[in-house]
Amino acid sequence: MTLPASASEAILTQDLEPTDSEGLGLSGHLQETVERTVRPVPDRYRNAMGKYQLRRSTDCQNCGNCAAICPEGVHVKPEGYAYVLRPKDHLCIGPSCAETSHYCVDECPKQALQLLRNPSVDCMGDPRWTADLILSTWHMAETGHAPRNLEHRHGASGGGFDRLRFDFPESPSPIDPDAVDTSIELNRRSDGRPSVRIDLPVYGGGMSFGSVSIHTIVGKARAAAAWNIFSCTGEGGFPDRLKPYDDHMITQVATGLFGVREDTIQRVRIVEFKYAQGAKPGLGGHLLGDKNTPAVARMREAVAGNALFSPFPFHSVYSVEDHKKHLDWIKQINPRTLVSVKVSTPTDVDMVAVGSYYAGAHIIHLDGSYGGTGAAPDIAKKNIAMPIEYAIAKVHKFLVAEGIRDSVTLIVSGGARTAHDVMKAIALGADGVVIGTAEMVALGCVRCACCESGRGCPRGIASTDPELMRLMTLDWATQRLINLLSAWREQMVDMLVRLGLPSVQALRGRSDLLYYLDDERAEP
Amino acid sequence: MSHHVERLLSTRSNVYRDGPNAETSKAAEEGGCGVTGFACTVPVGGKFIYEPSVQMQNRGNGKGGGIAASGLVPEQLGIDQATLDSHYLLQIALLDPNAHKEVERDHVLPYFDIATSTRQPHIADHRDIAGLDVRPPDIQRYAVRVKPDVLAKFASENGLSGMSERALEDEFVWRNSFKLNDAFYASLGEKRAFVLSHARDLLVFKMVGYAEQNVQYYQLEDFKAHVWIAHQRYPTKGRVWHPGGAHPFVGVNEALVHNGDFANYHSVSEYLRQRNIRQQFLTDTEVSVQLFDLWDRVYGYPLEYIIEALAPTTELDFDQLPPEKQRIYRQIQATHIHASPDGPWFFIIARSQKEQGRLQLLGITDTAMLRPQVFALSDSGEVQIGLICSEKQAIDATLRSLSREDPRFCATADKYWNARGGSSSDGGAFIFTVAGENGSKRLTCADKFGRPVKVEVAGVRCDVAHPESIPELTTDVEEWLRSGNSNAVFHHVVKHIDGWPAGALRDFCNRVLEAARTPKVMPTAIEAMTLLYDRRYDTGSKRRSTVLQVIDDTLCALFDACPTCGQPGEGQYRRIDWDSRHQILAPAPSERVLIIDAARFPPEGDECDACYQRSAFELGWRRFIVYRLRGQRFTGVGLGPATDGVRFDTYGSSGDYLASGMDGEEIFVHGNAQDQVGQIAKRGKLVIHGDVGQTFMYGAKGADVFVLGNAAGRPLINAVGRPRVVINGTCLDFLAESFMAGEPTEGGGFVILNGIEFDSKGQLVPLAAPYPGSNLFSLASGGAIYIRDPHRRVVEQQLNGGVFSAITDRDWRLIRTYLEENERHFGIKIDDLLTSEGRRLAPEQVYRKVHAVKLAVLAAATEKKS
Repeated sequence: MTLPASASEAILTQDLEPTDSEGLGLSGHLQETVERTVRPVPDRYRNAMGKYQLRRSTDCQNCGNCAAICPEGVHVKPEGYAYVLRPKDHLCIGPSCAETSHYCVDECPKQALQLLRNPSVDCMGDPRWTADLILSTWHMAETGHAPRNLEHRHGASGGGFDRLRFDFPESPSPIDPDAVDTSIELNRRSDGRPSVRIDLPVYGGGMSFGSVSIHTIVGKARAAAAWNIFSCTGEGGFPDRLKPYDDHMITQVATGLFGVREDTIQRVRIVEFKYAQGAKPGLGGHLLGDKNTPAVARMREAVAGNALFSPFPFHSVYSVEDHKKHLDWIKQINPRTLVSVKVSTPTDVDMVAVGSYYAGAHIIHLDGSYGGTGAAPDIAKKNIAMPIEYAIAKVHKFLVAEGIRDSVTLIVSGGARTAHDVMKAIALGADGVVIGTAEMVALGCVRCACCESGRGCPRGIASTDPELMRLMTLDWATQRLINLLSAWREQMVDMLVRLGLPSVQALRGRSDLLYYLDDERAEP
Repeated sequence: MSHHVERLLSTRSNVYRDGPNAETSKAAEEGGCGVTGFACTVPVGGKFIYEPSVQMQNRGNGKGGGIAASGLVPEQLGIDQATLDSHYLLQIALLDPNAHKEVERDHVLPYFDIATSTRQPHIADHRDIAGLDVRPPDIQRYAVRVKPDVLAKFASENGLSGMSERALEDEFVWRNSFKLNDAFYASLGEKRAFVLSHARDLLVFKMVGYAEQNVQYYQLEDFKAHVWIAHQRYPTKGRVWHPGGAHPFVGVNEALVHNGDFANYHSVSEYLRQRNIRQQFLTDTEVSVQLFDLWDRVYGYPLEYIIEALAPTTELDFDQLPPEKQRIYRQIQATHIHASPDGPWFFIIARSQKEQGRLQLLGITDTAMLRPQVFALSDSGEVQIGLICSEKQAIDATLRSLSREDPRFCATADKYWNARGGSSSDGGAFIFTVAGENGSKRLTCADKFGRPVKVEVAGVRCDVAHPESIPELTTDVEEWLRSGNSNAVFHHVVKHIDGWPAGALRDFCNRVLEAARTPKVMPTAIEAMTLLYDRRYDTGSKRRSTVLQVIDDTLCALFDACPTCGQPGEGQYRRIDWDSRHQILAPAPSERVLIIDAARFPPEGDECDACYQRSAFELGWRRFIVYRLRGQRFTGVGLGPATDGVRFDTYGSSGDYLASGMDGEEIFVHGNAQDQVGQIAKRGKLVIHGDVGQTFMYGAKGADVFVLGNAAGRPLINAVGRPRVVINGTCLDFLAESFMAGEPTEGGGFVILNGIEFDSKGQLVPLAAPYPGSNLFSLASGGAIYIRDPHRRVVEQQLNGGVFSAITDRDWRLIRTYLEENERHFGIKIDDLLTSEGRRLAPEQVYRKVHAVKLAVLAAATEKKS
């Protein structure tokens, strides 16, 4: 089935008139309020994947005992049903259940149940994004809470954040969990521009319309509105459907300048210059011809079906003084906006950061090498930029020595997968973290790394194909992301309480609270 | 390599401290910076390098600024001409004043015969100069020759006997300074002293501050020289800076300033280390001058080959060289490519060539032309001056300040141009040479290949102070003005100016000013003067640059005559300037145009004139005239999308990022425009009565644009949507790379490139090549270029993805509309465009279309398979 072009167009332009609004945004457009409430939102496929599988043999008499005893909701026999439903495997906590009194396998009067490891799980993920991490991200997006019996804190890459652990003190100073402050200020320049405070030390990274679907983009924006954080347009224009979330959008100005107009710069509170991406420094951007559908091409005002290149670097910026002029330009267009400068992590990243600060940036955004989706070439992802954990510490220390650390906000990205990664990055010296892949996983990404090919994502996340993008609804996407962030905040608060710290700000630069896993110090 | 060269390089080991030849990495990152320089037939004071330096302050951050002067006045140094000609001026910066005795004991007294030893005067307290936080070094200057016995010993010890005395002495001086720097600078944590310069007839000053602060601190306002260069530095590493890292850097008899950043510093320094040349200050600029010194003084290469080694000729340009040159260049490239700086760079070099009896000022740009650069030449008949600069407005500032104090100078240059890096046409470099006896010095200008650059020097100056009455003038002028006939006024001047006496134009203009006291006449007066300023016409016996100067003065006087907000006055004009900027009021019903005197407004930031334009726009003003622009940026920026009916007219040196983001408004630039103009432009109209700088309309989405002259490098890169642009001149290179602007005949975008210029008589003449660059329309997927090329000079090789095709009727109907408007703006007749060598041709014989074809590398996979 191919949808007529007008149908896909409708998805794009259909303006959601906000029912509940918090007043006008910078652009004068009514801003929608999105409720910050966790609601369970199941996987959009009928049988969600779990780490384990429960097999029910034909011996089952449908007595309903399993449904009665399972506190996880794996077995369900609805009122009036003669049969027990197919087990919801993904809720099962696995073999450790055997130690409890409600282990269905043992309790089944007919021994009709068998617990197995799901073989599909072994085919999924990679050491950085392990199957456990993918499943636990799904779990958080579904329930709003961290899973039990899934390793949701770190991956198994043997490097980076996976080698860092917090050293939780045995008796931390008492902290009231309800009073823990997870907000951060993004404007520390005291230059007369407005204060911008976000409720979590996290916001969403730039993904263009073209690289991902409109539901993905708007879902990200709505979740950002709910949590009073930000999402970013990426370099593909500012679809009209984002207007109700202007106050929570970042307009990205990248080297192709696609979709960048005065109008899109003036309506937002933060403008981000993308100089480079940590996943592919020096390579610019590249949208393959297949993903450049007529709708995408219209948004970028380019020719459909042709690959679209964002050059490297900005043709108008070959020096730090050009860079300052570039920032001055954006500030001239929008006198109220903050300016963020996104750079990758070369060996002299510290100098780049200081140069950006003196050029007038409010936010320095370091993008390290672990990030990037399927569209970034492996050779680049794995070999060019400096791992982010090195870059954070290097830049933080340099800014401190320069005496300007408290006048600039340091945001980092590139492989922050979990709430623990976020907290580690902050302990190393960042103020906050930008996430990308974690949001995609919350929407059902399986990390197949086919983002760029053909019509794009088989799960309809990173695709503008009119058929594929209908694989999820906007409300579903929004709620999954709200839930994920809620689960992350719970974990952040929990960690801060265990560390005896009243706020995420107090954690910044406390690398003394981390230790490195090596031969001398293994995991407890 | 000759025996001497080899010996000379190898025995430099004698000055290196023991220890391995350590690998070096750059000590500091620095960015673009601002560079400027000029060479003049008469010596002028340091205050004239002060002006352009101030203009370019925003290209530095006050963490390093320096100047160099060459062609000095002996009396001001307390020596005679013979001593100035023969002696080295050893100029030592004493960061630690107590180091003086040691430096002198160890590095001066034992080796040199000293003619004079003086301390450079300076103002008592550096803090009296606003913003100068770090105390500049004391400077001790010696005029010296190497003692004959020392030199003889040096020759024999190093096996260099037989080299010419001067070459030996140069090398001795170089090595002695290296040792001094090593002992008192490079090896120390606490820097104590270093050699600023050690040339004949050339001095360098530098400090942790802005370039112009050297002039103030060392009291050089009236210190005269024929050649001046200056540099604003923008270093970004660390909190502690030393003046040693500031530019200029010296070889022996040259000083070099640099704007840019090398990606291959390591490779270049490795090349130098293989030739036994080590680094002390660890900056790009130091290795640059080391390369120059190596190729010039040690290898004895001609200047052309040095420039080729720095900026290799490539692509189509290489193919266009004569075979003999290709053979030589190929060898130069093969030998020295690792030393060729990679990345954006632009050098300005001042050199004193005493043996040849001349001074030189060089500007060299990189092959990819990644840094802005403007050259200018002015010849008033009495004095000649050549200028090189990052920005045109700094050139204008220099000339303005010179002409203010010395009427022999003209405030406007006769010729402004850009170099095309690594090209076969000019080689990307120009050299100004001042030679001849004192009092009768002449300035010549030539490109890399030695081809002279000339300006029309004949003609009467009409920028005289005293008006002379005009014989034929009746009261017509006032009548024309009253009746709104600006064209009649324009044509009257064009017709008669040839026969007028020198002061007549002044008189004419004064009458216009007089008539414009009547508010109703003002719009026509402005219109007429603007026409006279914009259009190219035969100025007959009068020097064009001086005609323009008088017209410009008159326009300023007309604008000045308009009442400021709050002043009593009638008419449709209101004016604000820096002092009255807070008094902007909403326009009264009769008031239509807000005139902004941009002088004294900062070029950017919260107090720049563009901010006041925006507040005026919010108050209801829709028409703006901005004049006395001195490089102020962002004109027409930030007004947002609903700007239909808004119009700007700019006079003076408009700044970077003009019209960047325009969405509906109309902007008319009277004169040249600068860099980054029209970026992301969406809708509206932009008319530039002159040239435009780098990355013009980068990422543009639309707008109708007309450029009278040339665009520099990279115009219309990544443009999408429907930008429609007429460029009457040409571009340096990379026009419309990755152009994605749909189908021109179906509402998409295009560029019409006419490849013409005006001769001194105001007649259209075709350029030698309508498009000289090697890259046209590369990787484009939409839009088209319509190029005027009756002789089919543009070849396939220049395209990278596009194809030629004949223009159709549909194409012609489309572009004719734009050429008609082009005619209205600039007076360039379609008939003239369609005429080649006296023959009127059909459109398809004159214009060619370059359009996109589907490239395999760009196409969708599904299409590739089919």
